[in-house]
Amino acid sequence: MTEIAAGSSNNPQDPGKGDRRGILAGIALFLRQVASELKKVVTPTKRDWFSYTLWVLGFVAVVMVIVSALDFLFGQASIFVFTNQLEQ
Amino acid sequence: MFSAIARVFRTPDLRRKLLFTLGIIVIYRIGVFIPTPGVDYGNVQQCLALGNTTGGVYEFVNLFSGGALLQVSIFAMGIMPYITAAIIVQLLRVVIPRFEELHKEGSSGQAKMTQYTRYLTIALGVLQATTLVSLARSGVLFPGCQVPVIPNDSILVILLMILTLTAGTVCIMWMGEMVTEKGIGNGMSMMIFVSIAAGFPASMGSIFRAQGWTIFLAVILIGLVTIGLVVFVEQSQRRVPVQYAKRMVGRRSVGGSSTYIPIKVNMAGVIPVIFASSMLALPSMLVQFNTNDDGTLPGWAMWVSTYLSTTSPLYMAVYVLMVIGFTYFYVSITFNPTEVAENMKKYGGFIPGIRAGKPTADYLQYVLSRITFPGSIYLGLIALTPLLAIVLINADQNFPFGGIAILIMVGVGLETVKQINAQMQQRHYEGLLR
Repeated sequence: MTEIAAGSSNNPQDPGKGDRRGILAGIALFLRQVASELKKVVTPTKRDWFSYTLWVLGFVAVVMVIVSALDFLFGQASIFVFTNQLEQ
Repeated sequence: MFSAIARVFRTPDLRRKLLFTLGIIVIYRIGVFIPTPGVDYGNVQQCLALGNTTGGVYEFVNLFSGGALLQVSIFAMGIMPYITAAIIVQLLRVVIPRFEELHKEGSSGQAKMTQYTRYLTIALGVLQATTLVSLARSGVLFPGCQVPVIPNDSILVILLMILTLTAGTVCIMWMGEMVTEKGIGNGMSMMIFVSIAAGFPASMGSIFRAQGWTIFLAVILIGLVTIGLVVFVEQSQRRVPVQYAKRMVGRRSVGGSSTYIPIKVNMAGVIPVIFASSMLALPSMLVQFNTNDDGTLPGWAMWVSTYLSTTSPLYMAVYVLMVIGFTYFYVSITFNPTEVAENMKKYGGFIPGIRAGKPTADYLQYVLSRITFPGSIYLGLIALTPLLAIVLINADQNFPFGGIAILIMVGVGLETVKQINAQMQQRHYEGLLR
């Protein structure tokens, strides 16, 4: 493979081809390229997606419960400690 | 699912890590409730009960400090200065060649960068502490609240407060690093995660009280859909195939495997959103500092507060554009195609159909810039959700589903779950996710 062959290949992903055209055509080309790249994106399988979502929800819920409990505890404690000292 | 959780706790080192992280979280939450010396705790509670906080900027910062900011507690500034410092040091790599050199130096350079980040954190901490104390002293922090937050505002007390707040920041930074080292997940994001989780039930409750059942359920539903969507996008990646040439090293043959370079659709994570929000918070912060004594605004401030308030279309447009811009900027800093191409060449790897060296770098750049475009638009839309929610259902700024909060929650949640999973697979061959 020579340099020329690589440069003039009719590979649609050849970068920088839109430069010589108008701006609108450039944008259209860019969007087409975006679409063609998006088609190659690997998305998670339904199963993976589902279990990830569930685990994330579970994790968030657990942390939330723990933090809320701690906050309630420490909030009560600090009200007890600091208002007693300051207001009397 | 429950047997999996039981297995997590039966794994000794995993159990140790989880408990360590939990311990740090407990210490962090204790600090949030200890008031800074010099602050009248009773008066602060009275002002908080008025519910008339400044909104906007502080709500945003308050979200990140988990309610500590408005309590003026010793951890009032939260992890924010550290994050800001980390982002700034990352960005400085573009400007200062020495930082780029350090970055390339490997672990010793990385250690030095971390050290710079810490110094910068202290500087930012002092700055923000001074701002916070001056806001609290002049009463801007709680407008309409008559009782003084700082009863005795002599210079010594003020200095003590600034010192305490800065020390609090440093302490949080240290705790974050300890979590990264000995706990689960990235300490910095863990801290933000906890702060957001702390504010979550309260803001859900306020929606419930203000809007009633139907809207509450609708919000929950939208939230679940958004979480699912975010998980989906976070897990999507473009896989650029890489083939490694087989070669002999000594008497063994090495390589010959084919792998891929994962290019995530959302490679930049939450940082562009955090960045755009804090940049856009600056004008309204300036307005607050420039309010005249009788509550009127000078001309330019009037313009800013009309056209750059969070609900105006101009604000939303600028916000989305900034998010897109910062996404590209941040991706270009964190992923260097030339470097990746160089490394591949060094180890005999190539992308099928593309020549090694510069063409490979060009190709990677091409894929990256095309994939980042939908990613940045996605980030912008997600970031807009809370703003739209404010307009549609009159929720407050901390609308729990959407924007930064949800991105961080799902992001950190995913990372942590995956890390736990990997740790378990090391021991049991069977992780959480099957």
